[in-house]
Amino acid sequence: MATDAMAHSDPSGRTARRSRFWRPQVIVPLVGVVIGILLIIGPFLATLIRSVLVWGEEGAAVSAANFTSLLSDPHFYQAIGNTLICSTGAMVLSCLLGFSLAWVVSRTDMPGRGWFEIANLIPFFLSPYVGAIAWTYLCAPNSGLIQNFFSDTFGISLAFLDIYSLGGAIWVLTLFYTPYVYLFVIAPLRRMDAALEDAARVHGASFGYTMRHIVIPLVMPAILSGALIVFVTSAGLFDIPLALLSPRGIRTMPTEIYSAVQYPADFGRAAAFGVLAMIVTVIFTLMQRRYLGRRNYDIVSGKGYRPRVIQLRPAGRVAALTLEIVYIGSGVVLPIIALLMVSFSSIWTGRFNSNFLTMENYNYVLFGYDLTQRAIVNSIQLALVGATVGVVLAVLQGYFLNRGPARWRAWIDAALSLPLGIPGIILGLGFLILAIRTPLYSTLAIVLIAYVARFFPFATRTVSSMFLAINPELEQSARSSGASWGQTMRLVLLPLLKPSLVAAWLMLFVIFIRELGATILLYAQGTETISVALVLLSERSFGYVAALAVIQLCLLLGAFVVFRLSRASLAQS
Amino acid sequence: MEPPVSPSPSHFVRIEGLKKRFGDFVALNGVSFDVDDGSTLALLGPSGCGKTTMLRCIAGLETAEEGYIEIGGKVVFDSSSRVNLMPEQRELGIVFQSYAVWPHMTVAENVGFPLKVRRTPKAEIRERVTRILKLVGLGDWYDRPATQLSGGQQQRVALARALVHEPRLVLFDEALSNLDAQLREQMRMELKILQDRLNFTAIYVTHDQAEAFALAEHVVVMNRGHIETVGLPRDVFHRPQTPFVARFLGLNVHSGTVLSVGRVPDVANHEPLDADDVYAQVRLPDGETLWGRIGQDSPPRPGDDVLVCLRREHLGLSAPSVSGGIATQALAGRNGFIGTIRASSFLGLTEEYVIDVSGGELRAIQPVSGLDAGDPVAVTVRPCDCIILSEHRTLKATQRADLKKAG
Repeated sequence: MATDAMAHSDPSGRTARRSRFWRPQVIVPLVGVVIGILLIIGPFLATLIRSVLVWGEEGAAVSAANFTSLLSDPHFYQAIGNTLICSTGAMVLSCLLGFSLAWVVSRTDMPGRGWFEIANLIPFFLSPYVGAIAWTYLCAPNSGLIQNFFSDTFGISLAFLDIYSLGGAIWVLTLFYTPYVYLFVIAPLRRMDAALEDAARVHGASFGYTMRHIVIPLVMPAILSGALIVFVTSAGLFDIPLALLSPRGIRTMPTEIYSAVQYPADFGRAAAFGVLAMIVTVIFTLMQRRYLGRRNYDIVSGKGYRPRVIQLRPAGRVAALTLEIVYIGSGVVLPIIALLMVSFSSIWTGRFNSNFLTMENYNYVLFGYDLTQRAIVNSIQLALVGATVGVVLAVLQGYFLNRGPARWRAWIDAALSLPLGIPGIILGLGFLILAIRTPLYSTLAIVLIAYVARFFPFATRTVSSMFLAINPELEQSARSSGASWGQTMRLVLLPLLKPSLVAAWLMLFVIFIRELGATILLYAQGTETISVALVLLSERSFGYVAALAVIQLCLLLGAFVVFRLSRASLAQS
Repeated sequence: MEPPVSPSPSHFVRIEGLKKRFGDFVALNGVSFDVDDGSTLALLGPSGCGKTTMLRCIAGLETAEEGYIEIGGKVVFDSSSRVNLMPEQRELGIVFQSYAVWPHMTVAENVGFPLKVRRTPKAEIRERVTRILKLVGLGDWYDRPATQLSGGQQQRVALARALVHEPRLVLFDEALSNLDAQLREQMRMELKILQDRLNFTAIYVTHDQAEAFALAEHVVVMNRGHIETVGLPRDVFHRPQTPFVARFLGLNVHSGTVLSVGRVPDVANHEPLDADDVYAQVRLPDGETLWGRIGQDSPPRPGDDVLVCLRREHLGLSAPSVSGGIATQALAGRNGFIGTIRASSFLGLTEEYVIDVSGGELRAIQPVSGLDAGDPVAVTVRPCDCIILSEHRTLKATQRADLKKAG
């Protein structure tokens, strides 16, 4: 009777029931999903269409000419070959290094492991382009700090070391991509039920046998996920080949796409290149999804247990510590020292000389040159706005993927994670083709759109995994207590999601501060970013480049510090 | 029934003075015991008592700071001569609570692992794995991926894996705790049958008293890194020796003061159990008195503070006739006291009551008797079922013999 009365007195209740679709909890998240899909489809279609168009005398015509000319060009195969060598080498080395570091930090009593556990992530936050530049100061043939140090101190000639080579590129790629594998592997290593190892030991297996037959196979899905990401990302990374391989004319896939759109531009060729790269990337991503779908071991037991820490013998301690010191030294400490030395020197000769000590480089970059001043402002603006937009999209998509209609989730999830592997330079190309005849061209807005399009899936992943950890009953009880959907979001869901929102925002901030691949194609006079300014300055002076790189480094390390502090304070509350 | 009390050479496992700490936490504080060849010993105690650490030290998964461990005549750990064999050198089998079945292997690969690492020929591995899988009732599961198994089946795989290489000592770490009650009872039975057939020695860690009593020939109750009591399951159950054991076994424990000590309690419901038993009359905090059997060797003297331990099932409840106004008449000279029912919960054949007695509460389990919350009730107990213990631990002579025999 009471319910009857209520139903009659509230006619809007019935209309709401009739059109369930138009409720905010469906519409608002859907907007985020639609924007995400448009951001992916737009540049993809633009590249695809442009790749099959050829301009003749009577206008545009559909043709496969771009592809046939590309596929008959020996330079194409050179570029592909070099890219494969680089990314395969980086993948193998990153897996070895990433697994070893993760294991040492999570399963042994190595001294200082708490500290190293955090330090191992620092390269993740640094700019690969700046890292490559720093390594040219460290290891350029005949003039690198490392070669000079060894010949001055020990009389040993390291002339064979040349950072401007495929080996050099693999080395720097490895330093920057090891944290990817490390992050993937350390979680299952830490959560792994120690009984799985203990059972092997008690039933007769030695330490090494247990490692080979139990531990590594069990974390193999994580290692392979990391490996695939390293392979795809380092194949598409523009920064390091630009700094280390272009000076020697060594062709790679991303630098070839870049030079195709330089004057005299051949967009058709670049688009054909881009389409091929996208197809390969998408195939890889789908293969990985299938593989992981099949082999997701539940290696976590319900029982609370103390993860067993292995007591290293003295030799093992030395080895573990050496590994850590080499990695943190090469990935963080040495590059920063080199950058600081160069940035404070008026003349750089490959040795630090206090007679040349100067502040002039910083003075020029910060106060004397309008390009660098503009670049710093632009970068910070792009990072602040871009990270915020990205996180808003991530929350909406995360809601849709975890709370929305179940039917389309898997497909939409797959579609929304496609940009994860697409190289920045290819997405940049897509937006360039889209925007070139519109007022958006040469604005900061198009750079911002490209940034968000390329990187929102990272934020969506982070937020989505947090959604998984939140029991929907928490929201349902808020609704039952009388809160509207909006109130539930504001008062219950968003506060619970906060740690992931902070993490996602900082991650996007860091990525946008250092982005180069997409920006290099989309910038124009007035919309340069720090990374672009570094490229432009690299033809003028070591000192200016190093000073600007140090400023970028401060922004990135600042974000890292905020990240650690926010995690600590969120963990406390 | 009892094996001869002598330092028999049939001890298969000998543990002496084992000490282990984690930071400030003392996990094992000088633990010693022996396990007879072919028998089962249960390490029983609440979580954090050190039982699992004890097992891990035996397996070599944890290294004690001090002590001595011998398995089958071989010294596997000796802090004084710095012997410490690796786990794989100790020739054991182990079954974990979490099963620890490797998810990337098939059933046969899991079970065959101990043979594979011992470089057994492939044909023999196949034959022995097939045989042991039949024995644990998984004959048809040979080539299945281990992840397709249910919890009970995974537990059987873990068991087969621990037995396939015919170790003479098998360790069980809360091995059946993850199974549901019905399956657990079935596995207990099967475990006993398997042990009879394969004749291995077993050490079984559990927090579940029923499991310990059902499986083991000897029970060691541990508390905070030391052994609280050792004995046959029946003795540990019927004659708890320390207040800790009484509480752990779920007895009602109340404090009281000894009034007098004697051989024969002066109550109507006295039924002597053992001619050696000594009884004491104890005054409870509210002034009522109760006769009980002294559970430890050195009897307390009048005036001593003691603990009165009552098993829930041993309490008799009846409605006192309140018409007379003096409710104590309801006891009619029997050993007991008067209380008020606070709550009751229906358990099926029985009913559990929470009873307010002045100075505390009491739990009793009875056949359904129709008493309601708020009713006054007469609680009676035979003096032999009311166990009197002192807080300071003094073991009875029989107990000391047990300790000597078992470790």
